[in-house]
Amino acid sequence: MSDKILKKDQAASFLAELAQKRDLHAPALAGGRLVWAPLEPGQEPLWQFNNTALSPKEFFFPQTECMMRFTNAQDHEEGMVMHSEPELARERALVNMRPCDAKAFGVLDLIFCQDEMTDDPYWRDKREKSLIIALACNDPCPTCFCTSMNCGPHSEAGADVLLIDLGDKLLAKGVSDQGEAAIAALPAATDDDLAAAAEAKQMAEAAIITTVEMDQINERGLMELYEAGHWDRTQESCLNCGTCTFCCPTCHCFDIQDETQGPAGRRVRNWDYCMSYLFTLHGSGHNPRGSKKDRVRQRFMHKFKYIPVKRGGEIGCVGCGRCVQLCPVNIDVREVVRDMNA
Amino acid sequence: MDNQAIAQGIREAAQRLLAEGLVDCVLGYEAGTVPMRERPFFAYTPEEALRLTWSGFCCNNLANFLIRRPQGETGKVAVVAQGCVSRNIVGLIKEHQLSREQVHVIGVASPGMLDRDKVQAAVGADKVISAAHEEGDELLVEGPGWQERLERKKVMRDNCYTCVQRNPVIHNELIGEESEPTHGGVIDKVAAPWEKLDPSERLAAFGENYQDCIRCYACRDACPLCYCHVCFVDEAKPQWCGKTQDEADVLTYHLLRAFHCAGRCTDCGACESACPQGIKVRRLTGKIEKDVREFYGYAPGLDEESVPPLSVHKPDDPQGFIK
Amino acid sequence: MSSNESFEPRIAAFFCNWCTYGGADLAGVSRLQYPPNIRAIRIPCTGRLSPTFVLQAFRQGADGVWISGCHPGDCHYIEGNLYARRRFTVLKSLLEYVGLEPGRLHFSWISSAEATKFQQTVIEVTEAVKALGPSKFLRKEIGMVA
Ligand code: SF4
Ligand code: SF4
Ligand code: SF4
Ligand code: SF4
Ligand code: SF4
Repeated sequence: MSDKILKKDQAASFLAELAQKRDLHAPALAGGRLVWAPLEPGQEPLWQFNNTALSPKEFFFPQTECMMRFTNAQDHEEGMVMHSEPELARERALVNMRPCDAKAFGVLDLIFCQDEMTDDPYWRDKREKSLIIALACNDPCPTCFCTSMNCGPHSEAGADVLLIDLGDKLLAKGVSDQGEAAIAALPAATDDDLAAAAEAKQMAEAAIITTVEMDQINERGLMELYEAGHWDRTQESCLNCGTCTFCCPTCHCFDIQDETQGPAGRRVRNWDYCMSYLFTLHGSGHNPRGSKKDRVRQRFMHKFKYIPVKRGGEIGCVGCGRCVQLCPVNIDVREVVRDMNA
Repeated sequence: MDNQAIAQGIREAAQRLLAEGLVDCVLGYEAGTVPMRERPFFAYTPEEALRLTWSGFCCNNLANFLIRRPQGETGKVAVVAQGCVSRNIVGLIKEHQLSREQVHVIGVASPGMLDRDKVQAAVGADKVISAAHEEGDELLVEGPGWQERLERKKVMRDNCYTCVQRNPVIHNELIGEESEPTHGGVIDKVAAPWEKLDPSERLAAFGENYQDCIRCYACRDACPLCYCHVCFVDEAKPQWCGKTQDEADVLTYHLLRAFHCAGRCTDCGACESACPQGIKVRRLTGKIEKDVREFYGYAPGLDEESVPPLSVHKPDDPQGFIK
Repeated sequence: MSSNESFEPRIAAFFCNWCTYGGADLAGVSRLQYPPNIRAIRIPCTGRLSPTFVLQAFRQGADGVWISGCHPGDCHYIEGNLYARRRFTVLKSLLEYVGLEPGRLHFSWISSAEATKFQQTVIEVTEAVKALGPSKFLRKEIGMVA
């Protein structure tokens, strides 16, 4: 895979080129908050920013997504007419995605598209039609712990292109074939550029001030972790709200509902979250995760044990630190992992 | 008394209560792992009580944790309570969620809590804040290679400006002195911006206010009034509120939740402090607070005797609009 | 008003079993004419009416909502309507505060003997809602495919 150079003052025209066949989106400030917003062709994206408050998973896994529509048509021989939802009309480029988010979508690919039987067409369609141009972090936040989570401020996983900020220019690394094609026309990087990029990477990794260990979690059996004594304290102040899971790039639970109005209907899926009382509530009224403790434990066990066991060691957390910043009672995932690993 | 002295007072009180076996647990705040986010802490032993703290970033309403409180030998828990929290405790007692004997109130006059979003906005949306300390009327904010002093008053939470009772209305002991009951703000102003608009503008403002809502329900879950075992939004038979992000569903949630707080909301601001999206949830509860005061002369949680306004009626209640 | 002349509103009407519902019956038996825009829903008492029902009606496409019960003092359950009065007062103010047009939500006290009042109120309510045109307030639209 090749290493190219993109001068910042040429970035706008490079992106305008991409915009001919894709819609562009990038992080932008709106009302004091960092959000994902459409990037107009010719507009230069932000190069210096912390991560967006919410993860960009909405691009692939919208909070509310119509899966199909149906109409009750008595004159039709089937009685019911089904309509599949149209696929994404135009391809997209997601510019300056942080490496942790790109990595998260790589992990989610393993869950949404497991095998022939388990292959989510909604997820797949949007993933295949999106080019991810990641921007490496040179100034990680104090809440970032990506280096402990199979990821890092310069991680390439899940991205098509990785950009590394070298001041007035960017080193562009092709990661996938799609990414290679996108940067093919750019000039090659020099050895000096590569050295500068390597140095930036080293400095960024050194700037990650928190780390957590997972060795004991990996070693211990599932039931031992499940029955550990710390859960009573871990769950104590939790509000069982949806904040930590909704902001998280790797949380992917959903709930499917049919909505009807007169003869028309639609099937929608909405984000769900293990903290919710409704999560896993059975029709009978029984709930295998009936208590707050059960629900809190599920979140951490899923991320740090169940996913690693089932997905070849991948972790259900990329260390983006969003939940650390947003949890209203400051339940800090890093502390919980330390307790699990203790 | 400054924050350190109050924190010390809280720790001493908590240690004494726990050492003497008078309570099972002390509910207070401890320093969080990120700046500007003190967090709820449950102290069960005198040693744990040393972790308790006090600052302008104690933005959770601890009355929330009294509903499903720890149950131990004494059957009693102590809780650190500023004005609004004490009002919510009174409310819980009135609603029979708790009896006065089951709670030991460690009262503290509220300094007016601070809004971390306002602090962030004041120093620059994208700056990393590594610490924030109160020094008298100022807040010293620090980040990598920079420092900035902010006027405390300018970054106070909206509800703390308009608070009408900063002092605990009930307490078993008081740490520090009582303060002026208000910060001088006018609570009626919460609803004023929309009251000026005509119906279509109101509807637009209503939608806009909640357009970024992600329905995480942190506003509900942080609120000491929202203790229903099954909230109406979670009911399935019948389903009162759709699950989607459609505006109709999002607004239905907010309207009904606000209505369920009628005559009960103490304007503690815990809902707004919890919201990850910075949504002004009090736009609705503020209006109801004002109406309940104007129609029925009632303000929640200020005394232990009066009956909540929607649980009672009078022959001459206003009914001008009824045909 | 002219643009709404041909518009036929749908009005969800919640009537107390012990009074207004009887009033409606009497109006019918007495052959009093009134507009057909109301969909009567019988409830045991206005005190039973949760504000949720009102929102639900608007969500499901009602252009107006009308709630009617016993005069103060006449409640079958002694005071259900008096609790309801407080609840409605706060609810109406809240809904109008967020943009429900005054004229979409109505309340009345009508006894089972007041057939004429019933007739007049249906006319009044229907005209008020009709004048406002179709409601968009909280309306849930799931969309249809062509
Ligand atoms: S669990 Fe928290 S830190 Fe980990 S990926 Fe999710 S939001 Fe980020
Ligand atoms: S079970 Fe919980 S932690 Fe796991 S993906 Fe679902 S919401 Fe996230
Ligand atoms: S951990 Fe925090 S954000 Fe997550 S459900 Fe509990 S209170 Fe909400
Ligand atoms: S609605 Fe908000 S302000 Fe009112 S009591 Fe609940 S958390 Fe406090
Ligand atoms: S906390 Fe904020 S984002 Fe979450 S449901 Fe409430 S208003 Fe919406």
